[in-house]
Amino acid sequence: MPSRPSASRVAPYADALLARDLPALDPQRRSEAVEFVAVRVSDLPAPMKLAVGILAVIFDLGLSLGSRRTYISVSSRLPIPFVSEYPRLIRSLAFAYVWEKWPDTRPDGGRAQVEA
Amino acid sequence: MNLSKDAFGAGDHIEVEVLIIGSGAGGSPTAALLAEAGFDVLIVEEGEWYDQGSIKPFSLDQMEKQYRSGGVTVALGRPSIAYTEGRCAGGGTEVNSGLYKRPPHSMLTKWRDGYQIQNLELDDIDAIADEIEADLSVSYVPGDSTLASQALARGATNLGWRNGEIPRWMSYPERGDALSGKRQSMTETYLPRAINAGAILSTGVRVERLEMTDATAGAAVVERRDGKAGRISFRHVFVCCGAIHTPALLQRSGIKGNIGKSLAVHPTVKLSAKFSEEINVDNDVPVHQVTEFFPHSSFGGSASQAGLLALALNDNWREFRGQITDWRRMSVYYAAITSEGRGRVISVPGMRDPVVTYRLTKNDRALLAISLGRLALAMLAAGAEAVYPSFRGAPVVRRPADVARLEAGFSATKASVMSVHLCSTVPMGEDPRRCGADSFGRVHGTTNVRVNDASLLPSAPGVNPQATVMALVVRNVRRFIEENVHA
Amino acid sequence: MPEEVQRWSTPPATVVTGATGWLGSALIEHLLASERKGLRALLRDGEDASHLEESGVEVVKGDISDKRAVARLFDGIPPGADVIHTAGVIHPKSLSEFTKVNADGTRYMVEVAQSASIRRMVHVSSNSPFGTNPVESETFRNQEPYNPYLGYGASKMQGELAVLAGVEAGLDAVIVRPPWFYGPYQPARQTTFFTMVRTGKFPMFGGGTQRRSMVYVENLIQGVIAAELTIGVSGRGYWIADERPYEVREIVETVRRALTDEGYEVTGKPRSLPIIIANIAESADRALQRLGQYQQQVHVLGEMGHTIACEISAAKAELGYEPEFELYGGMRRSIAWCREQGIEL
Repeated sequence: MPSRPSASRVAPYADALLARDLPALDPQRRSEAVEFVAVRVSDLPAPMKLAVGILAVIFDLGLSLGSRRTYISVSSRLPIPFVSEYPRLIRSLAFAYVWEKWPDTRPDGGRAQVEA
Repeated sequence: MNLSKDAFGAGDHIEVEVLIIGSGAGGSPTAALLAEAGFDVLIVEEGEWYDQGSIKPFSLDQMEKQYRSGGVTVALGRPSIAYTEGRCAGGGTEVNSGLYKRPPHSMLTKWRDGYQIQNLELDDIDAIADEIEADLSVSYVPGDSTLASQALARGATNLGWRNGEIPRWMSYPERGDALSGKRQSMTETYLPRAINAGAILSTGVRVERLEMTDATAGAAVVERRDGKAGRISFRHVFVCCGAIHTPALLQRSGIKGNIGKSLAVHPTVKLSAKFSEEINVDNDVPVHQVTEFFPHSSFGGSASQAGLLALALNDNWREFRGQITDWRRMSVYYAAITSEGRGRVISVPGMRDPVVTYRLTKNDRALLAISLGRLALAMLAAGAEAVYPSFRGAPVVRRPADVARLEAGFSATKASVMSVHLCSTVPMGEDPRRCGADSFGRVHGTTNVRVNDASLLPSAPGVNPQATVMALVVRNVRRFIEENVHA
Repeated sequence: MPEEVQRWSTPPATVVTGATGWLGSALIEHLLASERKGLRALLRDGEDASHLEESGVEVVKGDISDKRAVARLFDGIPPGADVIHTAGVIHPKSLSEFTKVNADGTRYMVEVAQSASIRRMVHVSSNSPFGTNPVESETFRNQEPYNPYLGYGASKMQGELAVLAGVEAGLDAVIVRPPWFYGPYQPARQTTFFTMVRTGKFPMFGGGTQRRSMVYVENLIQGVIAAELTIGVSGRGYWIADERPYEVREIVETVRRALTDEGYEVTGKPRSLPIIIANIAESADRALQRLGQYQQQVHVLGEMGHTIACEISAAKAELGYEPEFELYGGMRRSIAWCREQGIEL
């Protein structure tokens, strides 16, 4: 396990993706989920890790341009083979984490009524 | 109880008679039988030891500890196919669904004839299967199976499709229920047996390569848990690292031939079905399967806790996300096909893990589509309110006419295709064009390198493969004992 | 017949649609031969009704896609009558006919039959709502998900759905699904098939290993009547086909043998073309149908590359269906019928 997962290449994009997909997920949970994604990515088989590293650089470029929301919306639904696997990987890992850890999370990421 | 120990101690070189690499369904029976026959055996395992039952089944925690790469491994292709491998003492047997299907005779005959496998006798395999069933306490669940499991059976029965409960290697306490079983994995069965008979299990040891002198392997170069290098000399070696890492290790060792060129998997697609009652079970899988369409396809149930449901709904998240709050009324089911396609395992110099690819054929894609459609129909016939297929742009299926939309909109490239059954990367047999190992697992072109795991299966068997793997493994190791004790 | 199969006696009246079609003509002949009383048939305006009327069949003129005509068909029909709905269009002049006849026409039949208190409606569907088998060795089970093959399949699926909706609303109805049929009263396209096979010009693809279920018309009639008279099977659908599917190459060889044995000169050699041609034809068919066009040759060529195989165990168990004819015998009878009619093959 890496010592500084939050410094991971995938963290900025994962954070932006989650902020858009699960707007009501509180920031602390979001950073926990991002951290989980980062750890998993660091544990990928070597060839995948290399590919994801390259994709992360490419996807990160867009984060600094204009509207993040629009960028995430477009970039996370690109119908390009392999490239589209990147947002899908991040989303899969993050969702699996969020709902395993807090199963009654609402679809927008908010806490369930009973929890609140 | 952790039965492993550090075989190296303070040194960095060990000498053994037989080295077994990997402790899953291949390596563990191999070790037990050899140790009991008096061989001096060392088993090395890359992962760590976790007691069966100490980790929540199908959880992310389990994936982190007992799966390779946290369970995130992919065969590249269009679509890429996500797969998982166990990496711990006991390998995949510690984490899989535990479903036991005897090797189908039709498949054994096809392999024997198609790949020229010598002395593959159906009676022998059946007799071995009997032994394995006793060793692993293969049994049916006591009392009723879970509601999610019953739903699948009910749907299939209503359509006139053959289905049934698949037994598992589980032991149940007296008066226990369907969820009280304890998996009779390798850490509960063959590994203790091997260790009792004098074998040593050393976990946290990764084999980098075998040192080959001409056709003979003399030693394994390893990396230990603390990053230190080590060397293990041996007379015989059994490579049992599973269908991905067995060929990868052989390739890294410079062994050529039909190694890693014919990866076979059961490509699997999924859907989530919602019922009017709470059917979700958060740490077990359904035990029923639809066997009507064997050998082309089979349907079963998957682990379905909320996190995995979110994963199953993820392909169409915008449309399906609202369902996640109903996860207690939902369960995930799969359709697995016998694929014509094949994949490759390619070791890249300088990279720790191999590149894995898989190519679905046109027929595979058509079979995936109709199989997902059939599964959806079965869920409706079981009384599901709605079915949410796992592919981009999937429709919600509420009535039979919606299944037509499902099949029309489906394409494999839009789907989350995955597989947990990997095999056939070192196919056994005498046919030199297709086989990587001989009829008993000795790698062609070597004198003492044997493969004894799922890599040997000439093709994907169309059923849960562990029983088939174990039966062939036991057969092969008995032959080895005969030859090497008498010699 | 399995013991649990129980049958009604014949009804006081039987309504038949599509009575001048391939199956309808053969069915009417069969019903007349078995002295079925109270036959009533729907014929289109302009179709010759004289031979039917001479045989005592009551003829109602009108189009199935005209709801008023369908209503007239049921005018004064006694309660407890049966309906055998064989009308359908398979090779239309324009695609809109599919919807008008196969979907709307069937819906009208269901609606009117329901208000006419009929005893049982048999709806003759097709393999087409279920598409094609994904691989050659695969066989459709009795219950399958819908996956319609192009425009025809979609319209036949709509027809089935209308029938099933009728059943939910209280109608007693059974669906019969015949695959490719052969036998007496064959239309011109089947004559072309015989001629092409006789002269070795019928195209097989990829060695002709695709499997096809076929049904000899007399087998089909047996199945249709079993579906009409068997008690307690409302809402069910059944494949009605010959005992087993045949490989395309077997079909070609068998037809050539049957032709030879019937005294015809068989020439040329069966040819196998690359499967890609069938695939291209299928793509062309799809593209044309998207534009609202239908080309029979292109459609048939495209479909030839596929396996369409079904199994009939449910019809045997639940309806007591037992196909009497198999390919060779059925083909010889078909060829003999053609000769009697003076049709040149």
